[in-house]
Amino acid sequence: MNKKINFNAQAYSIKKNGILFIFILLCVLLSIITPGFLSWANILNILRQSSIIGIMAIGTTFVIIGAGFDISVGSLLALSAAMCVGLQHHMHWSLAILLVLTVGALVGLLNGFLSAKIHIPAIIATLGTMTIVRGLVYLYTGGYPLYVDSPSFAFIGKGYLGPIPFPVILLIIMVVFWQFILVKTRFGRYACALGGNKEAVRLSGVKVDYYHILTFVVGGLMASMAGVVYASRLLSVTPLAGQGYELDAIASTVIGGTSVAGGEGSVVRTLVGVLLLTIIANVFNLLGVHIYVQYVIKGAIILSAVGFDTYSKFRE
Amino acid sequence: MNKSFPGVKALDSIDLDIYKDEVHALVGENGAGKSTLIKLLVGAYKKDSGGIYFNKQKAEFNSPVQAFQNGISVIYQENSLIPQLTVIQNIFLGMERFTPLGLIDETKIYQEYLDISKKLGFELPPHEEARNLGVAEQKLVEILKALIHKANFIIMDEPTASLSKNEIEHLFRIISELKSNHVSILYITHILGEVFRIADRITVLRDGKKIKTVFTKEVNRDEVITMMVGESLKDTYTPQPTGTKKSQRPVLKVENLRRKPRVNGVSFEAFPGEVLGITGLTGAGKTELSRLIFGADKLEGGQILIKDKSVRFHSPVDAVKNGISLVPEDRKKDALILMLELYKNITLPTLAQFSDKGVLSSGKEFDMTRQFIKKLDIKTSGVNQVVRYLSGGNQQKVVISKWLQTEPKILIMDEPTRGIDVKAKVEIHNIVRKLAKAGVCVIFVSSEVSEVVKVSDRILVLSQGKISGEFKRGVSQEEIMRIILKEDK
Repeated sequence: MNKKINFNAQAYSIKKNGILFIFILLCVLLSIITPGFLSWANILNILRQSSIIGIMAIGTTFVIIGAGFDISVGSLLALSAAMCVGLQHHMHWSLAILLVLTVGALVGLLNGFLSAKIHIPAIIATLGTMTIVRGLVYLYTGGYPLYVDSPSFAFIGKGYLGPIPFPVILLIIMVVFWQFILVKTRFGRYACALGGNKEAVRLSGVKVDYYHILTFVVGGLMASMAGVVYASRLLSVTPLAGQGYELDAIASTVIGGTSVAGGEGSVVRTLVGVLLLTIIANVFNLLGVHIYVQYVIKGAIILSAVGFDTYSKFRE
Repeated sequence: MNKSFPGVKALDSIDLDIYKDEVHALVGENGAGKSTLIKLLVGAYKKDSGGIYFNKQKAEFNSPVQAFQNGISVIYQENSLIPQLTVIQNIFLGMERFTPLGLIDETKIYQEYLDISKKLGFELPPHEEARNLGVAEQKLVEILKALIHKANFIIMDEPTASLSKNEIEHLFRIISELKSNHVSILYITHILGEVFRIADRITVLRDGKKIKTVFTKEVNRDEVITMMVGESLKDTYTPQPTGTKKSQRPVLKVENLRRKPRVNGVSFEAFPGEVLGITGLTGAGKTELSRLIFGADKLEGGQILIKDKSVRFHSPVDAVKNGISLVPEDRKKDALILMLELYKNITLPTLAQFSDKGVLSSGKEFDMTRQFIKKLDIKTSGVNQVVRYLSGGNQQKVVISKWLQTEPKILIMDEPTRGIDVKAKVEIHNIVRKLAKAGVCVIFVSSEVSEVVKVSDRILVLSQGKISGEFKRGVSQEEIMRIILKEDK
């Protein structure tokens, strides 16, 4: 009996910290192979490449911790980016951003409502909204790319504060902020608790549907914010933007050790997951691995990360 | 056929033999070890010692599947059919007949079905989906399935629990039919009337021990009840004066509560400082009643009054606001978040109290948790231990702590001592008495009559969703058992 508990505790800590271990190992390895890897410039570069998926994945982390799933975020990024660009022709960009974030939160609200109140399985509910939102992108753009030319708006995606790119600063602020929300507020606690056992939380006298829906709102909000950064970085949006981003966000989250069964996870570890995926992609590009092969390997990494989690739970 | 079986753990060296072509009844109160015994028989649990002999051969089953393949079938209380499959598909599941081409041979299956149902005098709609059948019909499908799988020993666990009178008659006819077809039956029940109608012999279990096996012809009901309850009801527990004061106003009053199918018009009052015991058979509606009062399920009729004021609960949120707490029947499913730490489980209902301007203070949470670890003597490595790794008794104490820190006026406890060891059980009884002394109204719901008698000031008996008896402290366990078992005269 004792042995078993030790094994479980061990598996638990491997799952929690294993990703960090792999991450550090990879960094050390790479810094030996490629001399410039640990240079300030390269680190900032990796962080900047990670910023859009990183911001999106924060929301995904909340959704998955609440035992939900959200595959509409890629479409939502496209809609947000398109609106952010399009609305600037009618108003100041700051107002446009505000509107866009509101739309993002509302789409999240819809996802949450369909999942928590109508009881559509989250993956199906968000499959529906994913399709609807992508349709809205086409309607809004008319199928053509949209452009904007605003140096002040471009700061969000391209600017620097001192030596550090602004999107990196935004990413770090968001990670710190949402990690704080997750561990230090009632919402964060209830999100974990209801992901672990929703009925038990309901029978504890908590407004459980409200908090459940709120996790989806965070998912939508952060996808929109990622869309704003995307628009500002490229200063143009095609209707196909953000396709497959939801998979990267989900992959980073589960590689970061957030349990697909819900109940446990961390925003900081999701960031590590995002960085890990970015670095792996960089290395593959350096090594000249074909993009098609990269897909296969990325899929295998996701399955290993999730499989480790689910199988160790099954063994318990 | 012969089956002998000395085991340990929840069971203490039980020898049981079942003859060929026999209906053998296994009776005992809840917690007597009946279901443990079945699970050991079919290999769902591992036995610590002892052996099972089936058809004069030593049989070691590692799983119920293996037992099933060897001709031992269990028909559980809850039906285990696949709702979307038809009667025939369910019966032949895993035993399909095939044509030489490997396709399912519908004609052959249908013929076999007709043969067997004619032999037993059944009439079931063969192509109806199982979910459209009544409970009794579903039981028949399970029996047929067992026979198709060549079962010659069938264990039936409370088969009549949700059947009507006519359906029970039908089942009994089929049981005697099975008997004449050389099938042995182990029949597990609370209901003595049934036992005396169909069983050849009766084995009584109590506290994991076999009391006696008797021929049905040689005993009467009262003798069996005495065997089930036992003589030594006096234990070390010192009765306390009842907390109920006549002059006091009831803190909770429920009038004609209804929710189909299990709660059919329940009215009672409960007073501050009182332990109100509610007991009855499995399926009598105890859990459903508890959930109704707590607002976990929607009320279909009747009303709840708290301190003479009518209240409507849309969800447990409202119940908790009104000072009601519920320790639910199934702690793992309905009360605990197993993957979370002790303190997170305990502070769940009152998290707002632990936050300062929206920021949680783990220091405060730890203090509260430590206080309860000490108060209820929870055996744990600390406030950060994940609840999954605690023992059943300690998990239950966590659930109780969680509710005690809300300082409830009314605490409903549904089977609070199920599946926990004897020591923890006594501790929980003591907590209940202490709470009542401090003025809390505790509604103690349990199907174990002995503990209800021990801790309650007043006892209500629930039968088929209605209150069928009320007793004061000092009533004997036998008297209550008589009321509980009265239904089947």
